[in-house]
Order: sequence, then structure tokens, then C-alpha cells
Amino acid sequence: MIRLPQRETRTLLAVHGWSAVLLGLLLYAVIVTGVASVFTDEIADWSSPLPSQADTAWPQGIGSAIQHAAQTVDPQFHEDMIAFRQAGGRMQAFFHKHDTDPAGKPIERGVVTVIDPQSRQIIERREGTDEEIGEMNLPNALAHFIVDLHVRLHLPNPWGLLLTGILGLAMMLAAVTGFVIHRHLFKELFTLRRHKDRMLSTRDAHVIAGTWNLPFAFILAFTGSFFSFASSFGIPAMAMAAFGGDRDKVIEVLIGNPAANDPTPAPPPALDRALDDARQRAGSDPWYILSEHWGRADALQTVVMLPASGTLRNRTFLYDAAGRFMQEKPLLGSVPSSGAAVYSLMGPLHFGNFAGVLSKAAWFALGFAGAYVTFTGLLLWTTRREDQPAWRYLGRSVTGLGYGLPLALIMAAYGYFPVVRLGGDVHVMMMTAFLAGLLGALLLANLLRQLADSRRILLSLTALALIGLPWLRWIGTGVSWIDAAHGGLNAVFAIDLGLSIAGLLCLRAVRRPSPAMKRLPSAQASPAT
Amino acid sequence: MTQTAAPPPPNRARAWSRGVLMGPVSFIAAALVMVGSALWLPKGPAGIDNLVWPIVLFPLLWTAMFLYSCLDVRLGRAWLVALGLALSHGALIANSMMSTPA
Repeated sequence: MIRLPQRETRTLLAVHGWSAVLLGLLLYAVIVTGVASVFTDEIADWSSPLPSQADTAWPQGIGSAIQHAAQTVDPQFHEDMIAFRQAGGRMQAFFHKHDTDPAGKPIERGVVTVIDPQSRQIIERREGTDEEIGEMNLPNALAHFIVDLHVRLHLPNPWGLLLTGILGLAMMLAAVTGFVIHRHLFKELFTLRRHKDRMLSTRDAHVIAGTWNLPFAFILAFTGSFFSFASSFGIPAMAMAAFGGDRDKVIEVLIGNPAANDPTPAPPPALDRALDDARQRAGSDPWYILSEHWGRADALQTVVMLPASGTLRNRTFLYDAAGRFMQEKPLLGSVPSSGAAVYSLMGPLHFGNFAGVLSKAAWFALGFAGAYVTFTGLLLWTTRREDQPAWRYLGRSVTGLGYGLPLALIMAAYGYFPVVRLGGDVHVMMMTAFLAGLLGALLLANLLRQLADSRRILLSLTALALIGLPWLRWIGTGVSWIDAAHGGLNAVFAIDLGLSIAGLLCLRAVRRPSPAMKRLPSAQASPAT
Repeated sequence: MTQTAAPPPPNRARAWSRGVLMGPVSFIAAALVMVGSALWLPKGPAGIDNLVWPIVLFPLLWTAMFLYSCLDVRLGRAWLVALGLALSHGALIANSMMSTPA
């Protein structure tokens, strides 16, 4: 128990409540989409499977396939190449040169070749700037839609990142003040009263979930606001203050690769030799390979490996043009440093991807608890102030968004699969379906007299949408469960099953009324009677 | 019948002053400290510690400044601390920008 004078406690309580409510609805959206984003790789594999799943996107000889792809690309784009895994295990190699847009902003322009890791054949080809190429990426479009919503609420940069950064700060403030104002912190970890007043039970459930979740909420808020602010504000500001506005120079100092300038033509870099060596050293699969100065004597290959089993950090190896090992370097800088060490922890702590599906499942569950805490917190707050019209309207929006957002996310998938099958603008379709779901839910919550009815209808629609989605996925991708069994498509089975179970759980929840809503006037007998 | 002393009437100007200090001033001060500290923190063996640590710690820095601004009973002192940090680091940044060729 933390003892504070009454005045300070009152002030912190006010800060805790207002920071949570003012930004609570947006924060809820960021948390819910963050929960889904934990499984972004699996969602991508599920939404765009190849006929069969390779054991790895980096099989022996994939480097030769990338070299072969390079021959089909205009040499002007052979400046740099970055290759990484995409949906369904596809290998994407982006050959590009560095350029600037009309506004002077640095961009990358080039050609993406997508390679099937099993057949080693090029199965897709896209040309344009890095942004245009990202927009043309149909296989990963659904996963990107969810991640973009989480990272920047689909607002243009840097405003979206700044907003989510501020939301992260608000969440951190709520976590810190929550820790201080819970006077009986340890007692509240285990207190769930079976009370006749179900509001008290809901309040207890909110406090238990929130209290257990405090350290995790703090970590997520801290790392999340770091990621939002670092690229949108931190690095540009550093560049302005310490490097005369030269953003590339900051990146160069942070990356810390050895300087080289020998434009003598040379054979393409020996990717396979570098990848084989990196696999042996790290005992894991590559995350990505960056090949700078392709076809020059000073070519430099950076291979970043995924964390090996039981470890938290990626490992980074440098190779020369012939694929000879040069050095292991930290993720940042050329030699180990405390800055690189702390930076390398931020990713695993935020994404929960350090121990495969197990850690992802833990992050998913903890994130879900965070969403529950936010939602019940908003419900409790607005319910207590139900006699004030402004709070009553906010209460309706809380119900509409709380139950409508998961439905809207599922609706985005309903916009995606028809495009996969029939063609069309996937981004327009997904956004239209998403907004239709969200605005429909908000409208419903504001039109229906009883909020309990809104909840029941929205949960029922969510259940139907969840149960129907595996069938739509089947029609859209053409991959049946028999095909999935033959092709070893585990993500297809797992997510189809997960969606069906979630749908059944929603149906079950429809039959159990929300305790918090029992207290709302709109949930009681009609005022007209 | 005992009479309890009525609480002093809330001072609106003071409440506004604290609100401004907690919100925009704390944020700007924390941002200036983040950027400015890159100019005096040790660079470390890789030459990056002065860049990475302030960016990583920015959320914590802001939280600390916000809570301090909110809790310090002496509002004038809270303003003094926030402005002192902001101005000293702002001066460092200005000096660096003027001495670095664009």
C-alpha cells in the first residue's frame, strides 16, 4: 500500500480517470487492434496461403533464386536489395535505388519480385516507390490494414504516429497513477466479491484485471509510445539539433555500418554463402537480408536473424561481396553499447515475438485483458455519471465502439476476400466495410432506447460474422480444409478454428446480460411507462 | 452545532496555470530535454548512446514531468523547474544549430 496525503491521492485519482476517459475510446481502438496485430504474420498466412506451406521462407538456395530474380530487374534499381518473408511464406526481394519525391522527401524506387520458396519461381512482380509497392501488396493487405490501424489509426504520417504516441503516454499515465492510487494493491489482486449489486462485481473484475495487468500495460505503453515518437519526432528532431537536419546522417550513425566506397563492378553478392553461415551462427532463421551496393566490389550484406529459442534479441551479421563473414554487430552501432542493448529489447517487449506462438499467445491474452480493463473502465465511469446528459451520450458511444470495433475489424476481412476472388480496390473495400461496421454500431447504440439491446444485437452480429468468416475465407482463397491439410497450412486451420470458437463464445455472451448496463437508465424500463 | 471551515474557493487562474503547465509546457519541456540531452550525454563506445537513451526515455521523462507539475504544491516552483529545463536545453539546441553548417 502506498500512503499519500489526501490531496495528492485526490489529484492522482482525477488524473487517472480523466486521462483514461479523454483518450479512452481511441486507446481502446489501439489496444484492440494491437491484440489482433500480435498475430499479424499468422493472419497474413491465413488470408493469403500458398498451396502448400514451406518449412521456411529461407530454404537452402533461396539466395540463388534472388540472384536470378535480379537479372530480370532493370540494373538502375540494383543499388540496394532487401529480402524478407511475406504472407504464406512468400519471399519478397525489393531491388531499389534511393530517390526523393517532388517535396524532397527521401523515398525508395524500384522493383519487387515475389518468389515461391518451394518452386523458387517468381510469382509476382511490382514496380514503383516503396509506398506504391506497399499499396499493391494484396497478399498482406488485410494484415497491414490491422497493423496500420494500430500504429497510426490510418491517419497520414506523422500525425497518426504522434496521436498513437500521445495515446501511449496517456496509457502510461493511467498505469502509473493506477499503481499509486490503488491503496490496497495486493489485496485487490485477489478480491472478487459475489455481491448482489452486480456493478460492484464488475468494478471488482475491472480492478482485478487492471491490477494484474498494470506491469504489462506499462511495458506496452512505454514501448508503444517509444516506437510512435522515435520515427515521427525523435529522430527528425535529433537530426535537426545535432546533424544540421541531415536525417540520413543520423540513420548512418545509428546503424553504424563500416563506410565503403569502391564502385568497381563485381559479381552479384554471394547471398547463399552469407545466409548459410548466419544460420549456423545464430541457430535460427533470418528475419531479413539487406544487400547494399549490389554488383560492386564494396557490396555489404547485413543478415539480421530472428531470436533463437530461449533468447530475446535478434543477431546481426555482416558479410562482404563474396559472402565472407566480417563481423557480428549490435542492431545499432558498430560495437556493443548500452544504447543498442536497450533498443534491442524494445521490439520483443512490444511485439511479444521472442518465443514463437507461446509468447504471442501470452501477449494476446494480456492485451485482451487490457482491452477489457479499458472497456469496463469506460463503462463504469460513464454509468456512474448517467444522470448527466453529456456522459449519457458518451456511454452510448462507449457501448457502440466497445462492441462495434471487433465487429468492424471482422467486416474489414469481409471487404478483403471478395477482392481476392473478384478483383477491385482492396483498400477501398476494406475501409468501406470497416467504417460501415463501426458507424453502424455507433448509430445502433445511439438509436436504440435500451443499451442492453444494442449490446445483444452487436454481439449477435459479431458472432455471425465470426462464424461465417472461415467460409468466406474458403471461397475467397479457394483453399478448403482438405487442401489446407494436404498443404500443411497450420495457420488456416488454427485461425478458422479460433474464429469459430470466438463466434460461439459471443453467442454465449449474448445470453448473459452485462452487469454494468443493468444500471443504465436506458437499460431499465422505458421511461414512457 | 459545530461548524467546519469551508474549503477555500477554487482559484481559476491557478487551475488554468497548472493545467497549462501539466499539458503543453510539460510536453514541450520533455521534448527539449530529450533533444538537448543528446548534446551533453556521453556518446558511449558505439557513439550512439547520447542519441538512443533520450529517445527511449522520452515517455518516462514526460510522465515524470507531468506528475511533478501536477503534484508540486508550490506552483511557482513547478513552473520554474519546467521552464529552467526547457530554456537550458533550448539554448543548447539553438547553439548547436547555429554552429552546425546546414
